[in-house]
Amino acid sequence: MRRAIRNYLVFLRRCAGLALVGDWRYYAWMGLLTVICLLGLHAYCRQFAQGLIVTGMSDEVSWGVYIANFTFLVGVAAAAVMMVIPVYIYKNEDLHDLVIFGELLAVAAILMCLAFVTVDLGRPDRFWHLIPGLGQFNFPKSMLSWDVIVLNGYLLLNVYICGYLLYCRYRKTKPAKWFYIPFVFIAIVWAVSIHTVTAFLYVGLGGRPFWNSSIVGPRFLASAFTAGPALIILAMQVVRRVTASASLGPASAGPGSAPPPPPKRRPATADDLVALTRYLPEIGSVPMEIRQQLLPMMEVLEVQSGDVLLRQGQTEDKAFFILRGCVVVKREEGGRFRITRTAGPGEQVGEITALNGTPRTATAFAEEPGLVLSLSAAALRLLMKSPQVNKIVRSRMSERLLITDRALMTLRSIVQVSMLINVFLLVNEVFKEFYSGNLHDASTKYLFVGLDHHHALVPWIWTAITFNLVAMVLLVLPVSRSLRWLNLTCVLCIVGIWIEKGMGLVIPGFVPTPLGEMMEYRPSLNETLVCFGIWTFGLLCYTVFLRMSVPILQGRLSKENEGAPEESGPSPAGGLGAYP
Amino acid sequence: MGRRSFLRTSAVLTTGLAALAASMKPLLEMNDFPTMERFLQKYYKEMTPQDMAKVLKRIEDEVEQQYGLRPHVRDLKPMDGVEYVYCLNLTRCIGCRKCVHACVAENNQSRDPEIQYIRVLRLPDGSLDVDKAEHFYAPDAVPEKGYFYMPVQCQQCKNPPCTKVCPVHATWQEADGITVVDYDWCIGCRYCEAACPYWARRFNFTKPSIPKERLNPDMSYLGNRPRRQGVMEKCHFCIQRTRAGRYPACLEVCPAGARKFGNILDPNSEVSYILKSKRVFIQLKEEMGTSPRFFYYFDV
Repeated sequence: MRRAIRNYLVFLRRCAGLALVGDWRYYAWMGLLTVICLLGLHAYCRQFAQGLIVTGMSDEVSWGVYIANFTFLVGVAAAAVMMVIPVYIYKNEDLHDLVIFGELLAVAAILMCLAFVTVDLGRPDRFWHLIPGLGQFNFPKSMLSWDVIVLNGYLLLNVYICGYLLYCRYRKTKPAKWFYIPFVFIAIVWAVSIHTVTAFLYVGLGGRPFWNSSIVGPRFLASAFTAGPALIILAMQVVRRVTASASLGPASAGPGSAPPPPPKRRPATADDLVALTRYLPEIGSVPMEIRQQLLPMMEVLEVQSGDVLLRQGQTEDKAFFILRGCVVVKREEGGRFRITRTAGPGEQVGEITALNGTPRTATAFAEEPGLVLSLSAAALRLLMKSPQVNKIVRSRMSERLLITDRALMTLRSIVQVSMLINVFLLVNEVFKEFYSGNLHDASTKYLFVGLDHHHALVPWIWTAITFNLVAMVLLVLPVSRSLRWLNLTCVLCIVGIWIEKGMGLVIPGFVPTPLGEMMEYRPSLNETLVCFGIWTFGLLCYTVFLRMSVPILQGRLSKENEGAPEESGPSPAGGLGAYP
Repeated sequence: MGRRSFLRTSAVLTTGLAALAASMKPLLEMNDFPTMERFLQKYYKEMTPQDMAKVLKRIEDEVEQQYGLRPHVRDLKPMDGVEYVYCLNLTRCIGCRKCVHACVAENNQSRDPEIQYIRVLRLPDGSLDVDKAEHFYAPDAVPEKGYFYMPVQCQQCKNPPCTKVCPVHATWQEADGITVVDYDWCIGCRYCEAACPYWARRFNFTKPSIPKERLNPDMSYLGNRPRRQGVMEKCHFCIQRTRAGRYPACLEVCPAGARKFGNILDPNSEVSYILKSKRVFIQLKEEMGTSPRFFYYFDV
């Protein structure tokens, strides 16, 4: 028990350590974010001291950009589920590696949500009145109390799931299904609940006809599942880019240089299998006669740093088990190279080609001098007849970090469908409001065409609608299969929806007031700075999360290399130094 | 740790802390920093009479210190067998807004920024549609031909949307029908303000300011004691007067006699008579199901 706690603390310390080291680009990026964060903090302190009067809000429009951003970000957080459902329910392999990034994005989004509601409070010092048991919690009557529960619950669920999966990957153990699958399914339902509850916050107010419409909940989900995956598409490309380096490192064959001499090889002996069993106890289950059959099909390579075991795209079908040293697997995507895995003693590389006959998905090379057991595809199949070996090899096949274009295209089709539904629901809402022409459409009129010479929101909402429609058209056209057009589409989706369900939903609910007074709202500079501060804070959190999780997913930070000096600066293999 | 890395680490730390301190500097001009006693103050309904006595004394001290005048702060409880109802005669109201100002004076509302509980609407004859209302009418003389006036304040609903949405029970309906706010418990989320169909709630966007000589020293805990920055307030039927058997300030000042107030549970009260004898009275936005205790009626 004490050992387990110690191990966990070491894990946390090493993760924290990762967040503090990096190359100059990382420091510059973090420094910039910190400065904007502090500007936001400065603005918030002014608001804390002088009151919400420093914002543009008034008794007439009593919620503004804070709550608008809050609403948008709850949607982003809920959208993480759109990565989880394909992976855990439909067993989509492409998105598998991205689930953790989606969930970490949800964590960052929820932290921003909590920050936005906190800065919106007139008396943040009385925060404890909301704590059940300590204060007076109006549950279940107040929808806000539901929101407190679902948001914090969602935060805990995601922190737990990400933390557990990452810790397992760090220890190179297989996650125990019972420890996380039930929570994954709870999180799926929970994600829908956070956004539905947030919609009910508005829908439940009978005195505000603009919000008091049952379509708000479905619209929230549709727009969330558009903007969230769109954001993930962009974020994943950034991750892919900053975790990749321009060259293969020591394994790249320079144009003029002679190819390195091939590694020394010798036939494998029974002792080599015993040595492997030390790291891979499952080998022990292989019967003696099979071992005898295996030996002629195997050899041992003495590799030097930079020796290439297999190259991306080739179809030669050997598999390798590492006996000593460390092998790095790098994948070329769009001309850049990214570490997808790191294999240590007892782990395999090249098994996918050996088993499936597909071309090599990446290049593997030795990072340090070591010994590698090379075996033919037939030998690997023979070895995997043992159920124990089969299980461990198959489970390790998924331990890699791939951000494939196929995964991005899967997300694209989610964005595509959601955007179509989103626009359809918007049309429904607009038709009902304008066609019936009843007295309750004043807010809608104000939003779309202006009312009594007040049109502050008109240019915004038409920008949003234009963006959404253009994005919708691009999404249904094949042109958005190219990443450049897809990225443009995603930006249009995000901006369009941010306007539509942020300012376009919150502000018109207040204009005109229930007594028919027209009062417009414009966010003040101070308020805007606070918003920038919170967004930057979220970006800062997400950067730190990625900074910690990418090396773990790549296998570069694991329990095995505990005690080894932490890398800093560009390492020979690209490694951590190549990350922002 | 080597000397160089120690120096570097401490330089980074010092810069970081200095930047943090600089960004938090506005806190020095804090309007209203809560003392430990106020921070830990209990919820109104959980205070014992002893707790309440202490809090009332502390409030009196604070008000005296700030305004140089010792107020008398009470915690008046609802009376048995009393349910307050307000009736407003739209035939008589002349739109002079005297009620608005009497209310501000009585209830120690902030003068800068201005907070008023009553909003008088000017409506064209023939329509009760508030979307047609003029809020900022300013003629040389009232009443104007072709218009009538409708003062709107908290309707003291039987089924109030505002108390339902409050996440911390900081606002609730008392036994005599008055919806009150515990100013020391409100967290300032303004959800109640969004929920109210009558736009009856007001928020202290900054520290309220009341000239010393205008302070009304006759105060109550749930009523007109000075509020703090960042909390909600609203019309409470002048709880400090009505629970002591007096009329609300808006009624007393009305030169037209348009305002009637009383106990609906007393069959002989003026309001009972009005509600029994008038064929039509109006509950504003009746379709909301809020069931206001504020009734509008016409003489003819």
